[in-house]
Amino acid sequence: MAQYPAELNGVFSALADPTRREVVARLGRGPASVGELARSTSMTLPSFMKHVRTLEASGLIRTRKEGRVRTCTLDRERFDLVSGWLDQQRAVWEGRTDRLVQFVEAEQEDA
Amino acid sequence: MNPELDLEIQRIIRATPDAIWEAWTNPEQLAQWWLPAPMQCRVEQLDAVPGGALVTTMSTDGAEFVPHVNACFLVVAPRERLVFSNAIDSEWRPANPAPVRMTAEVVLRAHPEGTDYRVLVRHGSADDRATHEEVGFREGWGAVTEQLATLVEGRN
Repeated sequence: MAQYPAELNGVFSALADPTRREVVARLGRGPASVGELARSTSMTLPSFMKHVRTLEASGLIRTRKEGRVRTCTLDRERFDLVSGWLDQQRAVWEGRTDRLVQFVEAEQEDA
Repeated sequence: MNPELDLEIQRIIRATPDAIWEAWTNPEQLAQWWLPAPMQCRVEQLDAVPGGALVTTMSTDGAEFVPHVNACFLVVAPRERLVFSNAIDSEWRPANPAPVRMTAEVVLRAHPEGTDYRVLVRHGSADDRATHEEVGFREGWGAVTEQLATLVEGRN
């Protein structure tokens, strides 16, 4: 249970971005190359790669390079991590607590 | 604490119990952290007395606000303990809210570094929740992950 929130934080912050959610949704239909994924956005490849790295770091996706093509696949185990209703409630409360901490600690510095 | 139904969060916060109490009970302050950006929160009612109302609404576009939390305070011990439940709404009507009924207990204790902050959330049974499955999660991450999980699971 102890390592849980930290793992979830990575997943949820990875999913905080609409581009990354699109990528995850696309990969739900099957693996795709980075180039293919980038073309569906209006981003340059280097900026798109940052999103790929974030998703990879969260464990939501895995990438594999063969020759010049890097292929992304979705890691379904990560989804199971956040699929339980209690986990979702925990994520809501963890998020709330993070924001409260940020808010009161910032207030404290202003005072 | 029932590990299948309840969750507990504990943090040491570098702020006084007073400051945290204010963040919870001052409507303007609560609105600033209660929901994740980019969602906007409006605190419609916040009467921090036992039996008092806690009603918040949320919006994605800043124009249309939809219900978020409709709850009732049970215990209010200033700067120490705050308990509220959505199983009784702000008008004291027994309620069965989505996604799940819960009682949240917030406990503040002075700590050398600031405040020992604990939240214990007790949920109604998982069976309760099943009836609300179709409603889905309305709050932030819940909604996002559930939609994604459905999308991902439905297409593979």
